[in-house]
Amino acid sequence: MSNHEHHETAHQPVQRKEMTRRQFLAYTLGGTTAFLAAGPVLPMVRFAVDPILTKKTEGTYVKVVEESKITPEPQEFKFQIHQVDGWYESDPELAAWIAKDDQGNIFALSPVCKHLGCTINWNTQKDDQYFCPCHEAKYTKEGKNLKVAPNPLDEYDLKIENGFIYLGPVKPNTKV
Amino acid sequence: MAHGHNSKEKVVFVGDSRVKKNSMVNIPPDFTSFPGKSEAFIPYFLLKEWMVGVVVLVGFLVLTIAHPAPLGYPADPMNAAFIPMPDWYFLFMYQLLKYPYVSGDYVVLGVMGIPGLAFGALLLAPFLDTGKERRFYRRPIASSLMLLSLISCVYLTKVSWDHYQHQLEESGTKPEHIVREEKAREAYEKGQPAPSAVKRAKPVAIVAEDDPAYGLIKQNCMACHATDLNGGSGIPALRGIGDQFSLEELHDVVTNGNGNMPAFKDKLSTAEIDQIATWLSKQKKAAE
Amino acid sequence: MFKGIYNWIDERLDITPMWRDVADHEVPEHVNPAHHFSAFVYCFGGLTFFITVIQILSGMFLTMYYVPDIINAYASVDYLQHKVAFGGIVRAMHHWGASLVIVMMFLHTLRVFFTGSYKAPREMNWVVGMLIFFIMLGLGLTGYLLPWDNKAYFATKVTLQIAESVPYLGPYIKELLNGGEIVGAQTLTRFFAIHVFFLPGALLALLAAHFFMIRKQGISGPL
Repeated sequence: MSNHEHHETAHQPVQRKEMTRRQFLAYTLGGTTAFLAAGPVLPMVRFAVDPILTKKTEGTYVKVVEESKITPEPQEFKFQIHQVDGWYESDPELAAWIAKDDQGNIFALSPVCKHLGCTINWNTQKDDQYFCPCHEAKYTKEGKNLKVAPNPLDEYDLKIENGFIYLGPVKPNTKV
Repeated sequence: MAHGHNSKEKVVFVGDSRVKKNSMVNIPPDFTSFPGKSEAFIPYFLLKEWMVGVVVLVGFLVLTIAHPAPLGYPADPMNAAFIPMPDWYFLFMYQLLKYPYVSGDYVVLGVMGIPGLAFGALLLAPFLDTGKERRFYRRPIASSLMLLSLISCVYLTKVSWDHYQHQLEESGTKPEHIVREEKAREAYEKGQPAPSAVKRAKPVAIVAEDDPAYGLIKQNCMACHATDLNGGSGIPALRGIGDQFSLEELHDVVTNGNGNMPAFKDKLSTAEIDQIATWLSKQKKAAE
Repeated sequence: MFKGIYNWIDERLDITPMWRDVADHEVPEHVNPAHHFSAFVYCFGGLTFFITVIQILSGMFLTMYYVPDIINAYASVDYLQHKVAFGGIVRAMHHWGASLVIVMMFLHTLRVFFTGSYKAPREMNWVVGMLIFFIMLGLGLTGYLLPWDNKAYFATKVTLQIAESVPYLGPYIKELLNGGEIVGAQTLTRFFAIHVFFLPGALLALLAAHFFMIRKQGISGPL
């Protein structure tokens, strides 16, 4: 096809790249179609992808427990966060396993198993490890994954003010 | 192919004995019979059709940007002051039902009779107006009936709308969606966030936190009923407990226990239990 | 590359004739406003379809945020209109589009009526068109309730009251639409289902029939 065209144009004395009438109409039609489609659809697409474009709110810290209560042995503490999920506001309760490591630094682990999201528990097997009942995943006290789970347990951002522990958003484990 | 030697030969199926060869007797006057008076759908016809579409779309988008969709306040079945109003294209029906002879004892006529007749006639128009003539001025009955119904629809709609405006004026109310927009604009001008009409259930607050009894509660109850007194896993919340139990009942439960609740008569003095029960009975949901 | 893909499919499914049939069919000049300006009256059908497409799309997008539940319906509409980017515009499209569809369809109906285009052999297409009209009115009626504000609630209450006055069947119709004794949670879910699944399904089927008949019978000739 292109060969043929080339052959033909080669015979013409003046080479001008003019649009044919049909091409012009095709482009106009295509442009109009694009406008008719984009006009209504673009606002709707922006509307639909809004959740990934909204700024994430800064994680707030929630007061959980007195610093003095923390022992080297992990303990579970419950705390409430205020959650705004679109039109639905709620105060769900979260749990954290808080302990001191060998250097005496306090850290808080999320109880969500990194395997399939079940809830882990401390020392149910009497082996000083976190244990997930769903698929028997195991973690060390620092949250290092020993069995089944692909990643170490997540950690909460943690700060200590006036003797109280405040927990913030969840982040990947920094202990292991 | 079954027949063989030349498999590239195109197979053409000729005829199906059930289908008549020229079954399209219904074919409309083909526009090739108006030589030079027709054009290809793409691109000529569609392009012009879509130019009109572009004009309409631009107008439509301007409308949507300039006028947000109205939204009033949440439905409240107890709201007696609200003047209900259907969408504008139902107004003629709505108005019709206000007249005597189509309401009250005759409501059937208004609900079924007249609309049924009108819409039935419209639905079956091709079977009622069967003449060959297409020009509207050559079929006066059909055209005049249509014009008459058009005029009455417009008239009824207008009367209904005017009546609504009159009602609003008389009762001194503004439609809710306008009130709402005005409030939002006022808030915006003051730099405040737009007020939300959404009502939320408030969490029950702890009452009388500075009471000395609260110390007793801290020592004795929080281990099970949680530090925020919201209970959990089968243990009832102590917030708002005063709405569920009377002072006497609370006193009895604390003293003698109830189900999983241990008895406190050995751990606490009667005076202390009194204090706790009194404090608990004060735990009522704040009136709104 | 696209040409390659197209050819590959075309060899197997023979799709060229399908779209060529649509693209090349002849349309009379007398319906083209470029030839006679008064022919713009022939555009209303196409415009109705265009707005209907916008309605279907905007409706699909709105259900990403909307919940048909009496506690959350209003809050979710409030949220999507005021908190989500372009939410006001998408909801305005659906709201004003509903009115515009009715206007366009009304004008289209009048054009068909006054040009006598419903006459033989196009009677069936007129009947199908009228059914589309009724479905559109039904969509308007059921959609009105969904934001669950006072206007929605009371207008629906009045409508159902009117439905109740139909002899014999009235109370049953009312209870069926109510999904119970009162206008409430069950009415809202019912109206939502009718508005989002039942009526649009019927609408699409009727539209297909409408277009099929237009292609089969052609546009009515010049007057």
